[in-house]
Amino acid sequence: MVTPVKEDTELVTINIDGKDYQVPKGGNLVDMAKWVAGNDIPVFCYHPKMDPVGMCRMCLIELGGVARDRATGDIQYNDDGTPQIRWFPKLQTACTQTVNDGMYIKTNTEQVKEGRESVIEFLLTSHPLDCPICDKGGECPLQNLTMAHGNGVSRMYFDDKMHLNKHYPLGDLIYLDRERCIQCARCIRFQDEIVGDDVLAFHERGRRLQIITNSDPGFDTYFSGNTTDICPVGALTTGDFRFGARPWELTEVPSISPWDAAGENISLSTRLDRDFGGKAMIKRVMPRQNEYVNEIWISDKTRFGHHFTRSDNRLSKIQIRKGSNFSESTWDSTFKAVAKTLKEANGSVAAIAGGSATNEDLYELAQLVTGLGGDKLGAWSPTHTGADLVAQVGLPEGSNLGELGAGDAILVIASDLEEEVPMWRLRLKTAQDRGAYLVVANGRNTRLEELATEDPNIKGRVVDGAAIRYEAGSAAAVMANLKKSNKDIAKKLADANHLVIVAGAEGLTLEGHRALVQSAANFLIDSGHAGKVNSGLLVPLPGANGMGLHYMGFSPETTQDIAANPPKVLIVLNAEILDDDPTAKTWLSQVDTVITLGYFMDAIARESKFVLPVQTFAERDGSFTNGERRVQRFYTAQGPMGDAIPAWKAVGNIAQAADLGRAKLSAAAVMVAIAKNVAAFEGITYKVLARTERQFPDVGGDDKYYGGNAYQNTGGIGKQIALSGTAKSEKVTVPDALKAGKGEIVLLPTTRLYDRSHMFIPTVMVRSRVSLPFVHLNPKDAKALKLADGDYAEVNYDGGSVRVRAVVSDDVSVGAAVFPRKLTEKATPLVPTVGTITKVTEPAQIEG
Amino acid sequence: MAVIGNKKYSKQIEHHFSKYPDKRSAVMPLLYIAQEEYGWVNDDGIQEVAELCELDPTHVKSIAGFYTMYSEKSKGKYWLQVCTDLSCALRGADEFHKDLKAYLEVEEGGTTDDDLFTVEHVMCLAACDNAPMLQCNFHYMENLDMEKMKAWVEEKRAELQKELDA
Ligand code: SF4
Ligand code: FES
Ligand code: FES
Repeated sequence: MVTPVKEDTELVTINIDGKDYQVPKGGNLVDMAKWVAGNDIPVFCYHPKMDPVGMCRMCLIELGGVARDRATGDIQYNDDGTPQIRWFPKLQTACTQTVNDGMYIKTNTEQVKEGRESVIEFLLTSHPLDCPICDKGGECPLQNLTMAHGNGVSRMYFDDKMHLNKHYPLGDLIYLDRERCIQCARCIRFQDEIVGDDVLAFHERGRRLQIITNSDPGFDTYFSGNTTDICPVGALTTGDFRFGARPWELTEVPSISPWDAAGENISLSTRLDRDFGGKAMIKRVMPRQNEYVNEIWISDKTRFGHHFTRSDNRLSKIQIRKGSNFSESTWDSTFKAVAKTLKEANGSVAAIAGGSATNEDLYELAQLVTGLGGDKLGAWSPTHTGADLVAQVGLPEGSNLGELGAGDAILVIASDLEEEVPMWRLRLKTAQDRGAYLVVANGRNTRLEELATEDPNIKGRVVDGAAIRYEAGSAAAVMANLKKSNKDIAKKLADANHLVIVAGAEGLTLEGHRALVQSAANFLIDSGHAGKVNSGLLVPLPGANGMGLHYMGFSPETTQDIAANPPKVLIVLNAEILDDDPTAKTWLSQVDTVITLGYFMDAIARESKFVLPVQTFAERDGSFTNGERRVQRFYTAQGPMGDAIPAWKAVGNIAQAADLGRAKLSAAAVMVAIAKNVAAFEGITYKVLARTERQFPDVGGDDKYYGGNAYQNTGGIGKQIALSGTAKSEKVTVPDALKAGKGEIVLLPTTRLYDRSHMFIPTVMVRSRVSLPFVHLNPKDAKALKLADGDYAEVNYDGGSVRVRAVVSDDVSVGAAVFPRKLTEKATPLVPTVGTITKVTEPAQIEG
Repeated sequence: MAVIGNKKYSKQIEHHFSKYPDKRSAVMPLLYIAQEEYGWVNDDGIQEVAELCELDPTHVKSIAGFYTMYSEKSKGKYWLQVCTDLSCALRGADEFHKDLKAYLEVEEGGTTDDDLFTVEHVMCLAACDNAPMLQCNFHYMENLDMEKMKAWVEEKRAELQKELDA
């Protein structure tokens, strides 16, 4: 359980309203009063995830302590033998108090009541009181605390209120209402303390105090939406939800982010909506507290990226190819036709599935393929590997990245975490702020590298970190030789109490990534960290269910095998093979029949014989296994799209039509079968996954301040799979890095959080923030190619070519060009490859 | 011109930096330099100070906004702050202030069309004995009357004309 009381925590006794409580020493008084006494001291500026500032004065209490003789230090007693309490003459702010032995507080006296009432009145002197049209209305801490502690009537003249900008765009996604802001600085502090992108500040003072940003780029972090949750009034709203619905019309459905390995817990706020044919529709995405996974934060991609679930491009009908055309069909006849095709393949059947397929989908798919006599189950995309090692030397059960701090160490190698798994980057960066040693190793500069090494004098924080810049593509060699080539760093990592290694695949082939992950595992094993709580290996596997793919038997190496030996019939589930990989068309042409189950009519669907529409995470029940092996379930939230059904159901019915046993009737039933047949899932049921527990800080219940925004976890905190197997430190053969011939250059694909993939592009409001396609070169390489920063360049590679902008700077190493994936509609290299770059002189249209 | 790379200020900037352990601590004196250069703290000035002090421009703006001695509104070349506090008023400063505005044809806080003069009233500048007085770009002009003032204004206007002619 995530609690402030650990085995070794020292307890002290405090007295709240006449009753003694044991609380952990050093805790914050507001948090402790809530945790042990259920006493909700009202707050506005205080937030348990951030340092107290004592700005709003809402938390006033009477504070005292046991009286001691100034000379001797002896406790002074009353005549009746009780210790004398010395009270502060004036009210004190509770949020700035750290509990200590003999602390006495009173929260229910007349003086306290009056203090609270006065602060509320003061905050409302110029508040617009436009709750009827305010998005926060109904879940607003200011509203709630006014009801609880306010006077009920106003002595202020309405005409004297200040009139300020009510629709000030604070970046593309967030709007500020300057009349509503109560100057708590939570948004400022979130950007500063949690994100590390200090772009908000106050301007002016007194009555005219305002939130501003004057930075370039302004308020556009990948976490900006969280400020709208913690803003205690309706001053910050998202462009996505503002004026979209009233909170009390919304049904909160627990869900899981479909985007990346973090598995952020979310709550989908839905209502029956005209805009979606009267069906339940996602109106907004809110974080759901899971202290093990995402605490109370989510990335903007998770928050705003839900639009693809209702996009016009969603596949809503079954499409069956007849010659060069597709015609629609019904499920029953399709199950039969597909089953027939599969049986005729005589066992030459394989499947490739992507990371948005759920555990249930994957299990049923594996059953189908093996039932038909096939044995090849490929994971998409074949860029990342090592899930098997995460299963053995990952973070053990009970680990929590939020507990890393002083004495601990983190190594992030070959990954741009901000772009790949933003929630991990956020949590690891805050771990560094708590004192952990953070090392970022990459062939180029990344946001996390900047954070790991920023001058501590400037930010005023103790930053313990280091950066290792290596030659492009040499990550595996660097990891394997860390103890020799970076002795001091390696020692510090090995000596740390806890060590987490994040091993990405940037700049690496699949073989190279295998070598890197094995080397990282070796390091953890050799240093004795393997198997220790809060230590272990993480791999930013693409998609929400990369570990699920592993546990259900899908591997990227098999994908390579499938490509090398194409089967007669290939089943593709949620894998945009042709859009992702320009070389795939070569081997796919040797496959007789492709059966695709997906969300969109993408390139592979267009080449398929059968195209079956399946449901996204929003429309169905299911579960994902996140990068820390936590199995987490999500619930049906949104109304169905056309004829789409869950993939497990489609696959199960195909199997039934192929006489391979009866189709299961529910996702829960599939999980029962998984628990029976997949060792790692033993004991896991939907009921187990739905288990919740009290979490610290307690943001749920009926407190009136930060509990307003659907944070509380009622859908389950999931279950982490125990480590299995006994990985040994193994000798690693590092494959040679790619070499470019004369006139050629190595292209290193990277991941961008905001891209032009089918799933993300329907999120129109973020489209302007998707980078134009570019290729990033070191000045040395650029010079050889006669390219200058900003030039247009044509990039040629196996399977295609595309025109992009050239970016030239020494943020990337010599010898390779960084070439992000999925920024163009055309497929660009999925894995490192050798290509050419030529300057385009005529004013060319760049693609995007 | 600019603050960065301006010979006029390089010594001063060096001096301010030398006083503090961190560059960021010099933000306030540098903001004065920006204000002197542009007549007010404009966005260019904020950017330059941010760059010099290795701070985020948002924070520089925040500081400029907090202190009233930094002006974030565009000003004429000469920023005339007339003291109209009690002691000065007893010596006719408020009349003087009114007449000056009338002569320059500006409202309180306004700037003349040729962008030369901005007039506003301020509180005691600790020069009561020499009232009426004003502060022109933070330099005192004392023992004033409208005759003196008119002559000075016309002189400045002539200077501008000459510049324009050249
Ligand atoms: S915008 Fe909201 S979070 Fe930011 S200071 Fe104002 S009230 Fe606080
Ligand atoms: S001063 Fe304590 S919550 Fe604001
Ligand atoms: S009252 Fe005018 S300078 Fe003091």
